[in-house]
Order: sequence, then structure tokens, then C-alpha cells
Amino acid sequence: MSIRSEPLIGVGRPARPVASLRAWLDSESVFSWLMMAPPILFLAGFVGYPLCYGIFLSLQDRPVAQPGVFAGLKNFAIDFNDPVFWRVVANTFVYTGVATMLKMVCGLGLALAMNQQFRMKNFVRAVLLLPFIVPTVLSTVAWMWILDPAFSVLNWFLIALGMPKPGPSWLGNPVLAMASIIFINTWRGLPFYGITLLAGLQTVPPELYEAATIDGASGWQRFRYVTLPLLQPIILIVTLFSVIFTFADFQLVYVLTHGGPQNATQLFATYAFDIGMGAGQLGLGASVALTMLPALALLIVALTIYTRRQ
Amino acid sequence: MESTSRRGFLKLAGLGAAGAVLSSRPISASTKSLTLLHESSFIKTYDEHFQKVLAPAYEKETGVKVTYELTSVGSLQTRVTTVAETGSGADITSNAFSWPFLFDEKYLDVSDIAEEAGKRQGGWYEAAKEAVFVNGKWKAIPFGNIGQLMNWRTDWFKEVGVAKFPETWEELYEVGKKLKAKDHPFGFELGHGFGDNHGWLYPLLWSYGGAEVAPDGKTVAIDSDETARAVDFARKFFRDTMLEDVLGWTDPSNNKAWYAEQISCTNNAESILWLGKRDFPEIGQVTDQALNPAGPKGRFHLLAPVSHSIFNFTQDPEAARAFLRWLTDEKQLSGWYAVADTYYQPFLHGYDNAPMWQVEPRNIPYRDAMATAHLPGWPAPASRHMAESVAKYVVVDMFAKACSGASTKDVIKNAEGQLKEIYRSA
Repeated sequence: MSIRSEPLIGVGRPARPVASLRAWLDSESVFSWLMMAPPILFLAGFVGYPLCYGIFLSLQDRPVAQPGVFAGLKNFAIDFNDPVFWRVVANTFVYTGVATMLKMVCGLGLALAMNQQFRMKNFVRAVLLLPFIVPTVLSTVAWMWILDPAFSVLNWFLIALGMPKPGPSWLGNPVLAMASIIFINTWRGLPFYGITLLAGLQTVPPELYEAATIDGASGWQRFRYVTLPLLQPIILIVTLFSVIFTFADFQLVYVLTHGGPQNATQLFATYAFDIGMGAGQLGLGASVALTMLPALALLIVALTIYTRRQ
Repeated sequence: MESTSRRGFLKLAGLGAAGAVLSSRPISASTKSLTLLHESSFIKTYDEHFQKVLAPAYEKETGVKVTYELTSVGSLQTRVTTVAETGSGADITSNAFSWPFLFDEKYLDVSDIAEEAGKRQGGWYEAAKEAVFVNGKWKAIPFGNIGQLMNWRTDWFKEVGVAKFPETWEELYEVGKKLKAKDHPFGFELGHGFGDNHGWLYPLLWSYGGAEVAPDGKTVAIDSDETARAVDFARKFFRDTMLEDVLGWTDPSNNKAWYAEQISCTNNAESILWLGKRDFPEIGQVTDQALNPAGPKGRFHLLAPVSHSIFNFTQDPEAARAFLRWLTDEKQLSGWYAVADTYYQPFLHGYDNAPMWQVEPRNIPYRDAMATAHLPGWPAPASRHMAESVAKYVVVDMFAKACSGASTKDVIKNAEGQLKEIYRSA
């Protein structure tokens, strides 16, 4: 049975332009741009525009609620003369470097452990994701209690082992405060590393391990010459993401220490926020935030080139 | 049934759309709603009173619905910044600290309302003017001060023979040494909170005669013998009376330590007693409050004002002014103050002997502190530079670094360098 037995009068006439439009849309050069347009527009609107506006702001003397005045690189000069700014630079690099290394090493270990066969494997994998799923502010509040000497389970344990009361001041001592936020960041970011690397591990063909075993490779050699090279592209991508997220971390520090004690945990994002919002110096705040850009851009370019070469 | 042609429908739709556009224009008589931004209060009855009593009463009286938009604690400044920068989102906002000086160009002059309220309700405290008077104009209507005073455990002080709170910092230090020896240390915030650190450190600095900047608001004056004496005192006060953890404290920390019975004295708003009475009645019973101790140059307190401003881009300024005038009337104000148990100490002298002060006499020092309360940066007038110094914790970290072991000379030099950079354009 046909749906339309008689040709409709007049339908044939516009067929030629429609067909040509369809052919034009079907051409690869047009179609590919059409497919790319939504993400490009999204990125331009939500990443490109804020970035350009941030650059524009950083070149202005722009107090909140007042018109800006072009100031050239004055804001950056103020930053470079500010001793706290250099403390922030050092803090951010230490925080990002140590936390990323810890996440990479422990995440790989976690992935290797999760790749083994054991009972309730799926349940354990799901539980491991919890730190990553729980909203950062919520988990940070929990850590605030854990690290408060009056209520700390850690201090209770250490005092039980013989340490004098009230035990370590996790957030009052500058070194311990930095160590604490690195630890919490690692705890929070570990599942991301672990699960992503686990996915990578599961794509390694078992035949390669079998061949290596037949050739007499030890467990370490199988890891070194089979697992690691095949995981390398994934490790690079995960590291790239992790560095970006860690470098620009805000919530954890803002809730837990607000950059204290004495700026020992102050990072780019928290310092830029304090200057931009707290002091109402939008231009100066933008300049602090933008100084993150060259370091991150270099890292991203380097890692991308390396990945392509691989 | 009457039929409508396609052309007729289009005409109707066009007229409807034009009508909708025209009706959205600001027309005073048609204003039906206003939005007031506020930060969520520690005293829940305060917010509830506005939502359940004041807003419905105003709507009943005038037909104007007032939406009370609450933000979480600590996030109001971000919201006000967004509204001020985009020019939309609210008609009126509450302010904290020195915000009228930051946002003054976006706020309407409300001098007429402020002066009228002052005349009718006993006159304003000097501190009120210090908080909102920008370039000769009232840029906000002062509401109340959230004073930061001394909170102390009467039972533990009695254990070392002290029944009355010490008058001077040195006397408090001597008591603190004895209490720490009895495992009842003091706990004063030295970290990066937003109020409880400034609450005692600026008054300490002033009480020794120190200041960040000279009264001209330009000359950095932190490097002085007076500042050095204050820093030296803070170092020994921390070392001999406190917990090490206070160096990393933010604002909730001293409250937690208080209710955990970990500390015997701190500096906080009235809320510590309010919550204690409600949730920890045994602790509430042995909590008392006192003025900050005096130093060689007198006794001082931090001004932490709350005020209300009208954005200059509000669609109907007259409607917003009418509401603020109504809110500032004694009939409304007295009820709002009373439900908050004097947590917001009125800036109008007319309330100095209001019955609410007799509900909890332990709060009376908060009223008395208003006469010696100032914004950070005093004796210089409030400014954007002062706000930057506060946001960068220059004074807090000067004291905190000394308490961590740095020399007095180094911490003052460091603070002076930062302040000179901040005040360079003053």
C-alpha cells in the first residue's frame, strides 16, 4: 500500500533548490562545520568570552562598580611587587606538583589492584568513587572536623599512641596545613585517576602478557614493558586534566583555611578571589588569575605535542 | 462563535506583544514587587520575622510584595558584586563592613531617610556615620552593629580567683596564663576568617596606639613603637594563653571550641551566647560577655555594621525609598531588633534603653561598645584601599607571623611594604 498514490500538484517545482541545498549540506566541508558549530559556539561563549574579558579587565584599573581606566601592565607590576603573590606562586606549584604526583602513583596502584579478581569487586569499585562524587564543599566540611584537634579522630589516635595533648595542629601549622590540603586533594582526585587508568588497563590485550610471560618476563618487567607503555597516553591525558583542576583549585582551600595560616595555603584562585571580590579590585584580581595562564598553556602545549609524537 | 481571521490574529498578537513590552517599563504606580538581598542570619528568628511579619505587613499596607532573597553566610558580597556589575537582580541590598564605600557609585543617596530617622529616634551613633557616610552623603541606612566582644567562662575564671572580667590586656594575660596551666586555654582567631580575627586584632592595635594609616588616609603609619608594643603583647598572649591551632582558625572554629569546652575565653559576636543558651544550656549558664580590655591608649572595638542601600538602577527608586522609609520607622525597627535578641545593636540612640536589653543583660556590653567602635583602617576614613588591606589580611598576618615566631621588626616591615603598595594610589 502506498501512502500517497497521486503526485501532489506543485511539489515538484521547488525540488531542485531543496535538492541542491541538501547536496550542499551533505558535502563534507559544510557538514563537518555544522557539526562543530555547537561546541565552537559553546566554547566561544562560555570559555572564550570570559577569558577575553578577563584579559581586558587585567589591563584596567577597574574597581568594582566603577568604570575602568586602561592601565596597561600596571596590575601585573603590582602583582610582581607583592610578596604574597610570590608566596602564592610557590604554594600553587608545590600543591599542584605534589598532589599530582601522589594521585598519579597512588592512582596507578589503585587501578592495578582493582584490575585483579576478588570478591565484591564491583561494590569496592563503586565505593572508591565516593570521594569524587561527594560535593567538594561537603567533603571539605567533613575534613574540617577530622582536622580539628578538639574532635579529630587522627589526634585521638595519635594521643592514644602516646603523643602529648592536643596533638598536631593540622591547620594551624603552616607546613602541616599545606600537607593537609595536598592530602585531601589527593584523596578527592584519586578515584578519577584510578578509574580512568583501570579502564585503560582493561584495554590491554591479554595475549601481550601471555607472550611476555612465555618470553620469561617477570611481573615487574611485564608492568614496565607492557602495561606502562600502553597506559602512557591515558596517563598523560589524566595528568593534563588533573594538573589543570589542581592548579585552579578553589573550594577546598576556601572552605578549609581560606589561604591561612599566614598565606601558607593561599593559591592563585583563592588569592584572585580575595582581591577581586573581597577588595573589589576586579582588574588586579583578574591579573592574579591570569598569571596562571602561561604556565598552564605551556604545560598543555608540551603534553599535547608529546602525545601526538607518541 | 466569532471567528478570527489569520490577519486579525496577527494584529492581536502584535498588539499584545507591544503591550507586554510597554507594561514592563518603570511606572511608579504599577510597582508590585521589590527584592531585598540579605545574608542568612545566625539568628534564624531575624530572617523569619522579615519573611512572616514585615513583608506580609508591607504587602497588606501598600500592595507591594517584598521578596527577601537570602544568600549563604559569606557569599553576599559576591552576589552584590554581580548585581552591581550587571545592573539587575535586586532593588535593595543589605551591606556589611565597608561596602557602601565600595559600591557607592551604584547606590542612591538616602540622606533624607537617614536624617529623618535620626531626628525621630534619638539621633545616630557616630559609628553609624563612619560606616555609611560617603563623600558627604548617606549611601545606606545603618541598621545595626554585630559587635565583637569578649566571651568568657565564669566558672573557670572563678577557679583562678577571677569573678569580674579583667580591665586591661595585661590583666587578661595574667589570668590567661593561670587558666592555660589548668588546661583551660584561651582561643582567639589568628587565621583567615572574615570577622573574629579582625574583631580583636584591630582593637588590640588601636589600644596600644598603633594604626595602619594616618588620619589623612594616605600616609602609612604601621611602623611605630606603638605597633611594636602591640605585636610583642600579641606574641606572649598567644604563646602563654592559647592553643597553637588558633593560627589556622576560621570563623566557625572558636564556636566549635567553645561548645566543646576547649577554651575559656574568646572574641565573638553575641551569637555564641544565643546558640549556647539554645543548644548547650549548661555552657550558656556559665558564659558571660565583656568589653574588650583596655590598652595603654584606651579601649576599642571593631565596627561590623549592617546597613541597607538602594541600587541606582532599580526600576522604581521611589517605591524602594518608600519601602526603606517604612522599614526604618520605629514600629518596624523595634520589632525586628527585638526578635534578634540585640544581635544587631541599633545605631539609633532611641533604642539605648529599649526593653530588649533587659531580656538578656549579658548582652549590654555590646551596646556600650558602640561608642568606641571603628572600621578597620581607622583613624583613616573607610576607603577601597582599606578594603584591600582587609582582604589581604595585612594586619591579621602581621600579628599571626609574630605569634608563629617571626621578629617584631620583620613582621612590621613586611606589613608596611604591603600597605605602601596598597595605598600608593591613595
